[in-house]
Amino acid sequence: MASAADPAADQNPRDAEPRKPTNEVEAEAEVAEEEYEEDDYEEEDEEDEQLDGPAASAAEQEKIRAVFQRLSSEQVGIRVHDVVIKGNSKTRDELIEAEVLDLLRAAPTVQDLLRAASVATARLRQLDVFDAVKITLDAGPPELPGTTNVVIEVVEAANPVTGTAGVYSKPEARSWSLEGSLKFKNLFGYGDIWDASGAYGWDQTTEVGVGVSLPRFKSIPTPLMAWASLSSQDWLKFSSYKERLLGLSFGLLSTVNHDLSYNLTWRMLTDPSRAASTSIRRQLGHNLLSALKYTYKIDERDSYLRPTKGYAFQSSSQVGGLWDSKGLKFFRQEFDVRGAVPLGFFNSALNVGLGAGVILPLAKGFMNSSSPVPDRFYLGGHSSPVCSLSGLSSLLGFRTRGIGPTESRRLIPSESDGDSSAAPGRDYLGGDLAVSAFADLSFDLPLKLFRDAGIHGHAFLTAGNLVKLSEGEYKKFSFPEFRSTFRSTAGVGIILPTKLFRVEAASSVALPALPPVAAWCRSVIHSGRKAEGPKRKPNHNKRSRKAGNGDRSRTICLAVPQRDDEENHIDHA
Amino acid sequence: MASVTAAEAAAAEWEEAARKVLVARKPCFGLPTACPTCLPVYVYLRMAQVPFDIDVDTSFPDADHIPYVEFGDCVAFNNEKGGVIEYLKEDKILNLNSKHPSASSPDVLSTKAMVSTWLADALQYELWVVSDGSIAHDIYFSDLSWPIGKILHWKKARDVKQLLGITKLNAAEREEEIYQRASAAYDALSLRLGDQTYLFDNSPTDVDALFLGHALFVLNALPDTSVLRGTLQKHDNLVNFAEHHKAQLLESSSSGLGSSSDPSMSSNPRKKASAGRSYKPKPRAKKERTEEEKTFRRRAKYFLATQLVAVLVFLSLLGGVDSSELEDDDGIDYED
Repeated sequence: MASAADPAADQNPRDAEPRKPTNEVEAEAEVAEEEYEEDDYEEEDEEDEQLDGPAASAAEQEKIRAVFQRLSSEQVGIRVHDVVIKGNSKTRDELIEAEVLDLLRAAPTVQDLLRAASVATARLRQLDVFDAVKITLDAGPPELPGTTNVVIEVVEAANPVTGTAGVYSKPEARSWSLEGSLKFKNLFGYGDIWDASGAYGWDQTTEVGVGVSLPRFKSIPTPLMAWASLSSQDWLKFSSYKERLLGLSFGLLSTVNHDLSYNLTWRMLTDPSRAASTSIRRQLGHNLLSALKYTYKIDERDSYLRPTKGYAFQSSSQVGGLWDSKGLKFFRQEFDVRGAVPLGFFNSALNVGLGAGVILPLAKGFMNSSSPVPDRFYLGGHSSPVCSLSGLSSLLGFRTRGIGPTESRRLIPSESDGDSSAAPGRDYLGGDLAVSAFADLSFDLPLKLFRDAGIHGHAFLTAGNLVKLSEGEYKKFSFPEFRSTFRSTAGVGIILPTKLFRVEAASSVALPALPPVAAWCRSVIHSGRKAEGPKRKPNHNKRSRKAGNGDRSRTICLAVPQRDDEENHIDHA
Repeated sequence: MASVTAAEAAAAEWEEAARKVLVARKPCFGLPTACPTCLPVYVYLRMAQVPFDIDVDTSFPDADHIPYVEFGDCVAFNNEKGGVIEYLKEDKILNLNSKHPSASSPDVLSTKAMVSTWLADALQYELWVVSDGSIAHDIYFSDLSWPIGKILHWKKARDVKQLLGITKLNAAEREEEIYQRASAAYDALSLRLGDQTYLFDNSPTDVDALFLGHALFVLNALPDTSVLRGTLQKHDNLVNFAEHHKAQLLESSSSGLGSSSDPSMSSNPRKKASAGRSYKPKPRAKKERTEEEKTFRRRAKYFLATQLVAVLVFLSLLGGVDSSELEDDDGIDYED
C-alpha cells in the first residue's frame, strides 16, 4: 500500500540523527508496527521503497529481526493518535467508539495495544450486527513519532433480517413446541436488534413476543432489553388452572454475573374445566405482577453437558408489588449451588448440588395471606439437575409438580352404584419453602465403543421437599417433620449424547420411609444444545436466549407412568 | 346396591356439609353484596333460612361462574345448569317453590322470565352503558390495579352493548325500548304483588328472590337521576316490598350469621358509594352532534397521519445524511 507519508515517516526518524535513544526506539517501533504480523491482525506492509538491491532488503530483514527481538524482550511504548472507523454506513460511530475506544487508547505499549485490539474485535463481533470486523494498526502522522492510527473496518450484515425456527421441548410442560423467530439487526444504527418470535406448544402453550435489545444506550454501559409478550400455559392436568400472561419485561442490567430486570405482567388464571380445588379456585382471576428480579450467577464448571470439575452458584431474588398496592406482593428467593469433583477412575465425576427457595407474601397481614399459585415452588419433572442451574424445579423420578401438598378437586356428584364413586383428582398446590439436593456420579462405560461415542453412565440420588408456610401454616412448621417427609429417589442411567440431543435412559426407585412402592422405568431424553433458562416466564428467558448462554436443558419425556407423591397428600381444610 | 342419582348424591352432600359458603362480589352501597347477579342468590339463601358464610371475590370481575356456593367438596356454579338457584331447585336441595303447590306454574315461570330478561337488561344497560362507570368500578374493579380495571371495564361495556344490540345508529331507539319494557314489567309486578308480602300467595318463591335482588340494587346502588330508579319508585308497593324484605333479611344477618370473609381476601366493609357518583345520561342531542364529531375526527386522523409520515421521513433522511458523512480527520489516505 503506497502512501506518500510513509517514506517520510521512514526517513524522518532515520535522518534525524541527534535523537535520543527512546525516540529511536519509538521510531523503530513505528516501523515495526507496520511490519508486525500476528494472528488475525494484518499489519500494513512497508512500502515497496525504492531501495537498491538485495543489500537494502537484507538491511530490512535485519531491522525486522531487531524489532521482533526488541518487542519480545521489552515493552515498546506507543500512543494511539487516532481511531478511524470505516465501513459503517448504517451503524453509528458512537456505538463502535463506545465499545472499543477506551480500551485502545489506554494501551501504553505495542503488546498491550495488540491485546486490546484482539479484545476490541471480539467485542464488536459480539454485537452481532457485523459480518466481519478487522482492526489494523497504521503508522501515525509523520510529525508525531511514536504514534499509531488504529483503523477499524467493519462489514455490516448484508441481510439485516435473520430467521430461525426449531422444535424444542419445555421441561415443565412436558410437551414439544415449535418456535420461530425473526430478527432485524441494526435497524436504526445503534446496534439494536429487534426480535419477533412465536412459539406454539403441542399442549396449547403458546407465546408471541416482540422485543428490542440495545448494546448500550447513551452512557449506560450494559445492554438494555425490552420485551413484550403474550403467552399462555396450561396446567389443567396438574393444578387445574390455565395461565395467560400479557407482559412487558425490561432488562436493565446484564453482565456476565449480574442480571437485573423489571417485569410488568397481567396474569389471568382461569379454570375452564371447573374442577379446581378450593385453594386454586380462590386464586383464579386477574393479577398485576410488577416485579424486580435480580440474578447473580457464577458458573466455573468445565462443561455444560457433563461437568467434571468446577462449581456454580446462582442466587435469584424477586420482589413483587411495585406498581401499586393492589398488585401481587411477595418476595421470592432462590439459591442454587453446584459442584463437580473429578474422581480419577473411568473418567468419573461426582456432581453435587443443593437448592433452596422461599416465597413470602408481603401484603399487610402477610402472616395469614396466601402466596400466588404460579409463583410457588414445584418439584418434580425430568430435566437433568446436573445441567440446568435452576435446579429447584426438577426431581428425577417424580412426575411434573409431583411433590408437595395437594388438595382434592371438586366433587361432582354423579350416579353411582353402591359406594363406588370415581374419586376426583388432586391438585398440586406447590410450596412456599422448597429444598432439593442431588448427588450424581457419572462414569465412562468399560467398553471402548461406548467411550468413543461419548456414552456414559450415571448413578444419581435426589431428594427434595416442599412445604406450605403461608396462611398461618408457618406456625405448624417444624424441622424434624420437614426432614422426615423428604422425598428421595435413587437410580442409574445411561446417557447417549447424539449430535442433536442428549438421550438418557434411567431407572429410578423411590426411597421412602415406607416400603418401596414400585420401581418404574423411564426414558428421558435430554437435549444438550445451547440452552436457555426454564421457559416459564417469557421475560428473563428471552434475554438468555440472546446471550446465547443459559441453562435450560431441553427435555423430552418418552413413555411412561411416573411416580406421584402418593404418601404426601395433605388435605387443606 | 341402591343406585344413587346425581341429584340425591348432591342433596346428601348438602346435608352433610358442615359449612356452606357463598362466594360473591364485595359488599357496597349498604348491600351485603353489590353485584346484581350475586344478590338474588344471597336473598334466596336467606329466604330459605340456610346458614351460610360469605367469601368475597375481588380479582375476577368478568367471571361467569361467580356467584357460587360451596358445600362440602361440591360446588354449584353460576354458569352450570342455569345458575345456582336453578341447580339447588333441580337437585331438590333447596326449593322454595315446593312449599306452595297452589302457585300456578305458568305464572311463576312467565314472571320469572320477565324479571330475568326485561328487568335484568334494563339494569345492565344502566350500570354499564348509561352510568359514567363509578358504580361499576366500586363494585367490580376497585381492588384490581388500574390498567386491568380500565381494560376489563371497557370490555364489559362493549359486551353489554353487543348483547343488548345497541349500535350507534339505534342507540336512542333501543334505550326507549329498554325503558318501556322495564316500565311495563314494573306495572305487571306491581299488579301481581298488590298488598301481599310475596308475589305469589304470601309464600316466597325464587321469583321473589330474583326481583328482590333487582329492586334492592336499583334502589340502593343506582343514583337518584337514574331513569330506572325513577320508574320503580313510582310503584309504592314495590318499593315497600323491597324495603320490608331488606329490613327483614339483611338486617337480621348482621345479628345472626355474620358475614365472615376469608382473611386472605381483602374484604372491604360495607361502604356507601364513593363521592364521584356522578351520573350523566347521554344527551338526546347526540345524533345532531354526530356529524360535527365525525368531521372533527376525520380531520384529526389526517393530522396525525401527516405527523407520523413527517417523522418517518425525517428519520430516514437523517439516517441517510449520517451515513454519507465520512470520517477522515487527519486527511491521510491509506488506501491504494
